[in-house]
Amino acid sequence: MEYAVEEQQTTRAWATRRDEKKRRMQLVSSWMNGPVLPQKYLVQALESLIAPGDRIVLEGDNQKQADFLSRSLVKADPKKLHDLHLIISSISRPEHLTLFELGIAKRVDFAFAGPQSLRVAQLLEDGVLEIGAIHTYVELYARLLVDLAPNVVLVCAEQADREGNLYTGPNTEDTPVIVEAAAFHDAIVIVQVNQIVEKLPRVDIPSSWVDVVVEGDRPYAIEPLFTRDPRQITDLQILIGMMVIRGIYERHQVHSLNHGIGFDTAAIELLLPTYGESLGLRGKICEHWALNPHPTLIPAIESGWVRSVHCFGSEVGMDEYVRARPDVFFTGRDGSLRSNRVLCQLAGQYAVDGFIGSTLQMDGDANSSTVTAGRISGFGGAPNMGHDPHGRRHASPAWLDLKTNPSPTARGRKLVVQTVETFAKGDVPAFVETLDAVEVGKKAGMPIAPIMIYGDDVSHVVTEEGIAYLYKAEGMEERRRALAAVAGVSPIGLRAKPKETAELRQRGIVAYPEDIGVQRLQANRSLLAARSMEDLVAWSGGLYKVPAKFRSW
Amino acid sequence: MSSAIVIPAYVRRHSFIELDARARAQSLMDPGSWRELVGPFDRIESPWLPMQGIAPQSDDGCVVLKGTIAGKPAVLIALEGKFQAGSMGEVSGAKMTAALDLATQDSQNGKKTAAVLLLETGGVRLQEANLGLAVIAEVMASILALREHAPVITVIAGTVGCFGGMSIAAGLSSYIVMTVEARLGLNGPEVIEQESGIEEFDSSDKALIWAINGGEQRVGMGVADELVLDDAEKIAASVQKYVRAGLPQVPRSQQVELYRERTAALDTSRQIDPLTLRKSWNRKTNQGGAR
Repeated sequence: MEYAVEEQQTTRAWATRRDEKKRRMQLVSSWMNGPVLPQKYLVQALESLIAPGDRIVLEGDNQKQADFLSRSLVKADPKKLHDLHLIISSISRPEHLTLFELGIAKRVDFAFAGPQSLRVAQLLEDGVLEIGAIHTYVELYARLLVDLAPNVVLVCAEQADREGNLYTGPNTEDTPVIVEAAAFHDAIVIVQVNQIVEKLPRVDIPSSWVDVVVEGDRPYAIEPLFTRDPRQITDLQILIGMMVIRGIYERHQVHSLNHGIGFDTAAIELLLPTYGESLGLRGKICEHWALNPHPTLIPAIESGWVRSVHCFGSEVGMDEYVRARPDVFFTGRDGSLRSNRVLCQLAGQYAVDGFIGSTLQMDGDANSSTVTAGRISGFGGAPNMGHDPHGRRHASPAWLDLKTNPSPTARGRKLVVQTVETFAKGDVPAFVETLDAVEVGKKAGMPIAPIMIYGDDVSHVVTEEGIAYLYKAEGMEERRRALAAVAGVSPIGLRAKPKETAELRQRGIVAYPEDIGVQRLQANRSLLAARSMEDLVAWSGGLYKVPAKFRSW
Repeated sequence: MSSAIVIPAYVRRHSFIELDARARAQSLMDPGSWRELVGPFDRIESPWLPMQGIAPQSDDGCVVLKGTIAGKPAVLIALEGKFQAGSMGEVSGAKMTAALDLATQDSQNGKKTAAVLLLETGGVRLQEANLGLAVIAEVMASILALREHAPVITVIAGTVGCFGGMSIAAGLSSYIVMTVEARLGLNGPEVIEQESGIEEFDSSDKALIWAINGGEQRVGMGVADELVLDDAEKIAASVQKYVRAGLPQVPRSQQVELYRERTAALDTSRQIDPLTLRKSWNRKTNQGGAR
């Protein structure tokens, strides 16, 4: 028996991944100058470096996109490259799905598919595409290190030098983790860069992690996804914002937090220097943020509300402003922002007091989803921030304030706040008996419905009617009644009984604006610290450069 | 952390764009001088919108105030851009025409009455079809009649802008005041894109749209008279200035020869960019206007 083990050890190859990588790199070596591959060889090189059935990661989240690489990959010969397993955090660009139509890719694991959600659903139904699973961002990256180790990764950076060191700059985002998962497990790292330069402003990724560098035909694509034009903020969103500030941030002393990207949260950011200041809350709430550089946060930063902001990514137009505020933002020695999606997600999961985001649909148990009929849009990062991590051990005033069980062995709780207007556009109720996600999940053959945030993770729901302090409710029935009490005249709201609601208000499980000192008539746009993009520019002293699509002058 | 918050002066301005049509109108009249004519409590609404499942408004999106500006008799007619994109229907058009005609009557009787038009409008209200078209023609006739006696001042502040038939009405007025956020053009960008294709005009390209239709370019071209900040006090001062100025020597729309010459002088064999256009267009001296 012992003899047999010894023999096996001497005959088995233990470096097949390394050998295979060496073999493939050899195929393209004649075209390369150091790590640099000339543009014209890219499609051929992809056909040589990737093999049928490979698991590949294509960098593309809801912000930056390795689009030169994705546009080149669709040009590959499907006879040479087929049945790839694509791992991509966000299916954002049309060519991502063209890969499946051409048969180059077959299976996908992803986190988000906002702009392409309709086509994903169609291709799935047509059998053109198989979905492994829909993840949150960190969950997907985590699997790169476990059961989804890639063979090849395609990423993007601002600049490279001739040795292959990379500067990923303000929009570093996902690049480090994708490259790490590949470089240390013998996968091939291919990078598109906007520019090859002699000297980098700083090195974000060392050359020994990088195999192939190619200059893009144009700068990588990027969307200003986190910009909200204050002009679009409504009085109703302002009312919701006021209730959050008084009834949640002030009540629970929320010092550190993450905000979603809706207009509700943009309203809160713009109410801090005005409404929040009038309540004397500066220095008492909202000091530390896990957040992209939202332009609507500028007035709060300028007026001394914000002590620190760590970012998932940058935001188009904010680079110069961030560079001028290094005490607040995380910046490199060169002065530019250093973002990192995984680390910021980790911060948003474990280190903040609360998460707040808006949702499109919620059921009577406070389960919510942005998946609506015919669309498979995925989750992105919200569920990661929007849950109560049971691995948290440090206490903070807010975390302790949500501890309802006096037992010394009970834990505190992270705030998970959902804002929702009781009726969406077109008189469609946001509170429903059954989420669309249930039907979508069934149709797509998913083992469970694609729920964005589970009701049992939600601590507060805020509507224009009031706040339901769900964490305080005793038992499922009381939770449901508390939610119904703020659900207006939606099907869920109609279940509320005035007598029960009055009792819930008395016990502080439900609060209407007047219960927490919020005056409805005060809720109008004159309360916003900035009411237009031009106002934000003025607050920034001209440092914020408004992206073209948000300009109205 | 206890130091007082310093809000930038620009942010502290009294934004005109933020105001609805009624508040905009009131902010431009001499305080205490005005009253509203055919107001919402008179409940003269569009009879056509409810038939098409659209809730009408009690003033049909048109506010008429009579009073004084800079101490002189004036009537102010404001369109509400938030109601049906400020479109002109039978009722709103009739209110505008009647107000202009009464101003003409008063002017003919010795009480010179200026008119100020706040135009935030996409033009004709499609739901009212020919009636909408007819009232726009009537508005134009009424402007032409009044401008012989007293100035007709158009203010385009944004964010809807002034398009369609009402852009012609703007063109007929004695003076046009615009902000940088405002746009003025015959066909709206979406309409051009729809009719001639995205290669001709990409309505999502905001920089392009504003470079052509925006206040800065329109004033730069001399098609409008003054570029003002989105600030209620500054816009009021501009309107007062033009009320005091009285009639222009030659209304812009009568300078046919000037504009013919300018158009003929353009080299249209290649694409002209907006900035070059502004420069070459203004090479000839601007004869009209009280600038």
